[in-house]
Amino acid sequence: MAEATHDYSKTKKTYAAVGISLGVFTCITVALGLYPPLDVGPPGPTPGDFVIGLAVATTKASLVAFIFMHLNHERGLIYKLLLFTCLFAFGLMVLTLFADKDPIREQYDTHKTTGGWLIEKPE
Amino acid sequence: MEIPYEVTPRRDTGLYNAKLGIWLFLASEVMLFGGLFSAYVFLRLGVQDGVDNPWPWGVSVHKSFVWLGAINTVVLIASSVGVVFAWVSLKERNWRRYQIWMYFVVACAVVFMCLKGVEYNSKLNKHHGIKLVDNSVMEGVIIGKTDRLRFHGEKMTFSLQAALPAVLRDLDSKDFPGFTVTDGPEGTVGTELKTASAFKSWFHDNRRAFSAALAEDRKRYRAELESGVANPKPVSVKGTATVTAAAPFAFHGNPRKIVSHNETTVNYRDGVKVEGKLESDDVIFEVHEVDMQLVLPQQQRESVVWDVIGNDAAKQSFFTQQSQKYQELVEYYEKRGEVVPEKMLRGRLLNVHYIHVPAEGHEGGEGHVEKEKHASVHSSEVNLTAGSVGGEGEHGPSRHLVIPREQVKFMGNHGPRYGNYYAIYFTMTALHGIHVVGGALVLLFFVVFGKKLYLKNPEHLANRVEVGGLFWHFVDLIWIFLFPIMYLL
Repeated sequence: MAEATHDYSKTKKTYAAVGISLGVFTCITVALGLYPPLDVGPPGPTPGDFVIGLAVATTKASLVAFIFMHLNHERGLIYKLLLFTCLFAFGLMVLTLFADKDPIREQYDTHKTTGGWLIEKPE
Repeated sequence: MEIPYEVTPRRDTGLYNAKLGIWLFLASEVMLFGGLFSAYVFLRLGVQDGVDNPWPWGVSVHKSFVWLGAINTVVLIASSVGVVFAWVSLKERNWRRYQIWMYFVVACAVVFMCLKGVEYNSKLNKHHGIKLVDNSVMEGVIIGKTDRLRFHGEKMTFSLQAALPAVLRDLDSKDFPGFTVTDGPEGTVGTELKTASAFKSWFHDNRRAFSAALAEDRKRYRAELESGVANPKPVSVKGTATVTAAAPFAFHGNPRKIVSHNETTVNYRDGVKVEGKLESDDVIFEVHEVDMQLVLPQQQRESVVWDVIGNDAAKQSFFTQQSQKYQELVEYYEKRGEVVPEKMLRGRLLNVHYIHVPAEGHEGGEGHVEKEKHASVHSSEVNLTAGSVGGEGEHGPSRHLVIPREQVKFMGNHGPRYGNYYAIYFTMTALHGIHVVGGALVLLFFVVFGKKLYLKNPEHLANRVEVGGLFWHFVDLIWIFLFPIMYLL
């Protein structure tokens, strides 16, 4: 059986530090969601809360991906592969921008056709 | 046969086989979950239109699961740390420590799934909601089987073309009531069907006979048409039967299987008509919260829910809280020298309101309607007593309401049918749960059956654990996003 040839003590410290960081970020996520003083913008659930919550989640996900999944020193082929995946996933999210798209309504949008007047601007 | 690049990487790609394979698999997984996250965003953006049951923003019962979700997040993070430490242990050629870390990871997976089971059980078995005709929603618990119609049947008419009558599955008693055929195919009238097996046997025999008779009559009709008979007799075979019970049989009719009902008749979706006497169709409900998210603010004071609750203090408490919320909004914008935008007044910030209904101060009796008109307000909490049915509930003394069925638009547990949130919640978390189970089984395999490979080539086992670990981290990564969007935001 081959013997270990590398000292992993530094790697283990990094993994432990990342684990603790992820725990701390989880506490931050819960605090942001539950405690009104940490609420961003107007009281209640707002887009600002959503952005911050997802930013924290993205930070946590990056730590997992780059450190635990070793993406920080991965081969180029993996990055190329993930580029296509990320583009696809991004495309799926872009689709949601069309959630309110309603061409039929827009066609009769009085603001666009008469500048806000119901039929036409009176003389 | 030796498979190349299982342990050492290929020179051109720099990757060993399994690593390239797992990354390709994970890429496809990103697309799978990406589609579901996209669906989540679409559903959430559509909430304001009010076509669905409300998104559970701020509902206490929803908030109560936050801590379960948070603990599960920590459990999955710990398991991810465990996997990388197991991999390092293999690299350091420390089999014992590798075993400990791997069993720790599998234990984390078990804890995660157990907590998920607790949450699912609570949602499916312990929490219900009732949406009233004006879209106001009451959260709480349906008492007993009162979501079903209580009916005493005497006579049952059914088709011989369909399956066995669904009503037979709703019977209260395990003892078959026993029927006599009072109308049906020729030669069967007067037949006594005393047991369930006798009924089934009679039903299937007559269904076969009906099908044969129908085929025969169709053949006759076609032959007459082909031979030029003017106005041949139309195809006509009696395909229904009526049976009468020896004594009225009680059943709880499942409303999902029933088309309509009145005081004397229940019509099932499968075409079965049961005649008899309606005992009650009222729903008895232990109310905990009221959600007005889907009711326009100007219509909230006249909402049906206040008639159902029949308690002015509850109504007063609700609007007091609404005023407080409005005041918070005004203060927030005043500090910035602005007025509250109109969309905020229309939006969910003012539309989402809840009354928490504590049990204290109420002396409910067993099984009788309380006539007490007294209601007290404790800060923002209200006792619901007027019009309530007594009895001890899981959440303390009773605050049960009798709700006429005609006021109910939809009712059910917090399962996938309850609304878009619950549908996407169960879809995504169940899919994630399947990944957790699958990943844990693979890692368990590596630790239980890995010793032989470890002794032969420890680097090969380390590669396998790295690949299994990559999948496990991906599972963790998905949960990192699921937790805030499903529980907090």
